[in-house]
Amino acid sequence: MARVLRMLGIHKRFGPVKALGGVDFELEAGEIHALLGVNGAGKSTLIKILSGVYTHDEGTIEIDGQPVELGSPRAAIEAGVATVQQHPELVPDCTGIENIFLGHEGRKPGLFARIDRTAMRAAAQKLLQRFPIEIDLGARIGDMPAVDREIVAILHALRNENTRILILDEPTSTLTEREKASLFQLMRSLRAAGIAIIYITHRLEEVFEIADRFTVFRGGRNVATFTSQEATERGVSIPELLLDEKAGDLFPERDGKAVGDVLLAARGLGRSGLFSGVDFELRRGEILGIFGLVGSGVDELSKTLFGAIRPDEGTMQVKGKEVRFRGPHDALKAGIFLVPGDRRTEGLAMTQDVVFNTTVAHLGRASRLGGLLKFGRNRLDTEALARDVGLQPFELDRPVSAFSGGNQQKIVIAKGLFRASDIYIFVEPTVGVDIGARAKLYTLIRELSRRAGVIVMSSDCDEVHGLADRVMALYKGRPVETGGWNASRDQLLSAGIMGARAA
Amino acid sequence: MKPLAKNPIILRILAFVVLLAVVAAIFQSLTPAYLSGNNIHALLRHMAVQGLAALGLTFVIVVRQFDLSFPGVASLGAMTLGWLIASKFGVGVGIGGAVAVGLACGLVNGIAVAYLRLPDIVATIATGGVAVGLSYFYSNGASISKNFFMSGILDLNDAKYFGLDAPVAILALTAAIAALVLHGSRFGRAFYATGENRVSAVYSGIRVKAYVLAAFAICGALSCLAITLLVASSGAANVTAGSQLLMPAYAAVYLGAALFGAASVPATIAGTLLMSAMLNGFTLMAVPYFYSDAIVSTVLIVAIAAFDPKVSAALKRLRPARPAKPLRSPSLREVRS
Repeated sequence: MARVLRMLGIHKRFGPVKALGGVDFELEAGEIHALLGVNGAGKSTLIKILSGVYTHDEGTIEIDGQPVELGSPRAAIEAGVATVQQHPELVPDCTGIENIFLGHEGRKPGLFARIDRTAMRAAAQKLLQRFPIEIDLGARIGDMPAVDREIVAILHALRNENTRILILDEPTSTLTEREKASLFQLMRSLRAAGIAIIYITHRLEEVFEIADRFTVFRGGRNVATFTSQEATERGVSIPELLLDEKAGDLFPERDGKAVGDVLLAARGLGRSGLFSGVDFELRRGEILGIFGLVGSGVDELSKTLFGAIRPDEGTMQVKGKEVRFRGPHDALKAGIFLVPGDRRTEGLAMTQDVVFNTTVAHLGRASRLGGLLKFGRNRLDTEALARDVGLQPFELDRPVSAFSGGNQQKIVIAKGLFRASDIYIFVEPTVGVDIGARAKLYTLIRELSRRAGVIVMSSDCDEVHGLADRVMALYKGRPVETGGWNASRDQLLSAGIMGARAA
Repeated sequence: MKPLAKNPIILRILAFVVLLAVVAAIFQSLTPAYLSGNNIHALLRHMAVQGLAALGLTFVIVVRQFDLSFPGVASLGAMTLGWLIASKFGVGVGIGGAVAVGLACGLVNGIAVAYLRLPDIVATIATGGVAVGLSYFYSNGASISKNFFMSGILDLNDAKYFGLDAPVAILALTAAIAALVLHGSRFGRAFYATGENRVSAVYSGIRVKAYVLAAFAICGALSCLAITLLVASSGAANVTAGSQLLMPAYAAVYLGAALFGAASVPATIAGTLLMSAMLNGFTLMAVPYFYSDAIVSTVLIVAIAAFDPKVSAALKRLRPARPAKPLRSPSLREVRS
């Protein structure tokens, strides 16, 4: 087979953070090549370089043997690289055909440049002849099932005839099994047409189902490439390849098991369409880790525990009493504090200063009986909390938008400390936080668990496993047997990405 | 917005004083009566009416909603006041009735927007329309001035409290209370948190719907208090009384926010003072109201543009090489030009 893409010695740094340290990657015409790796392993950086979003610092890229400069998304498209984002941006009120040719509609001659629907329909027909797939492109995008939207996004990417390389970023994360089959059918017909597909996924079982080859990334490097057949024959363990051996250093020591009373318990908790059958108990003095990928229901579970989503099955108990929250204010009163996954949109008032953001978590504590704020007291309290969490720079009058990601997260934690709750739920606590600040956050979470109960929910397996005293996994909204509460990293990872116990 | 945020508050106040002085100097050079004692009293009385309406609107803007109903609501309040006085209920009941009507309309707005999740602009235009319709109910649209002379409502315009003209004293007192609520109390924090980021406010345990409701209620009540002062100064209640409130109130809130970086009580008062200084000057020069309205509207657009961080960011991109001068923030440059 002809080699269509060759990337050699690709390096990329973001400030002090090394994202890619010398990646070599090759792609052949008419193959489906899966990229695997945990969060931060470098696979998305690599595809962003290939699609022209980032420029690499060192290394060469050749397409069809010719060196190319991919300085912008447009240059990448012209070089024959098309990308379908994880959540493709389509116009819900337009039909599939209109979306495919968005911005390149055929025009009739004349003053009004009317859209030439006949030509567009013909062009769409031609696309479907090249890549046979069953789909009604005349339907509105808003009425289409998720898989058809995905197919429209792929056809949109393929409308350029010179497209040689197609990048699919986790296209199956929102699809059902049946829908997945029809997406895979399209991918196979693209392969037959000679298009090379780079396929990013977190779900390992898909790799063997659809990919010809796969490359594993770890710590900004490609560590292994196998054909699916080779991997099966030789019994290669992908979870082992994915995990970085030194990850343990980041995490604080676990304490002696001084576990106290049960603070929070869920019995068969579920919300239709999001997750179901979740059981756990959280005790004072421990960290409970819940591992789950995007779309597995962890985010929704956290919001349900916090009262922002109402469960429709099962029960929740706080300190032995059954509770039904009408909203987060009830959860806060019951002593639950959520450090949400998206701190910018859910956790902070970005243009306000640090004092505003910490005190807003408990305005009753921040004010006197009549409601007047205790300005001096609040400032002192915030100062003490900011010192506890190690806020840098130590400027309480700064708007929180001017802090780095890690320090914004520290502010959300300070907010939680101001609330003085018994139960803290962290969702993706270190997304967008650099490695140096991570260790500090982990220490803070561990310290918090000495007097409270802590739940850490994350799509980072190492984080859950390294930090938590006990672990569980969610896969497609259902808790998965992880080989007991003290599962190994491999067991946990397999449970979360394959929905099965590791062998 | 970043260079704005870095500017110390003193510079902002200084910029405001300079702007006010420039406006005053221009009008003084055109009409010598501008800075006379009498005219300044007139200016401040006018400001009291606009200021009260703008203060109410400030709450709605802080929670990032719009209220377009308050001119209609104010008209209804004016006619309610007139009818109550004409029916010999007395000034106290009259004012109480007017403010109660405003409060009720504000609550309707708040329920529609916060609880029924109707789009704020359409919903408030509709309530405003209903209020205007209801205001014709009392007298079929004729203006009411029966009993006004006897009732003592005119004293509201002419009396002096604490050495200030009564309307000015009422504005000062209301502003002080509003400032205490919005900037000194937990409720103010909740208003700001609601406007800044509704999701994070909910996650902080704030009942955002109640605060949106409260903001609309305060806006309705204060617009009727404002119209009470206008009725007292003109000596008659009119079905069109409220129509002159809309534009100046929005212009005042946004102008103030542009000057001081965010909507707040001092910012609104400063914005109102600037607006009144301009409107009064045009009146003195006998510029017809439709031209002065056009000028006020221009000021409103410029203020919104200056308030919008996207616009100031775009302006910054236009001149990347030059470092920002500390005194002239992008928004001020806009307002002056």
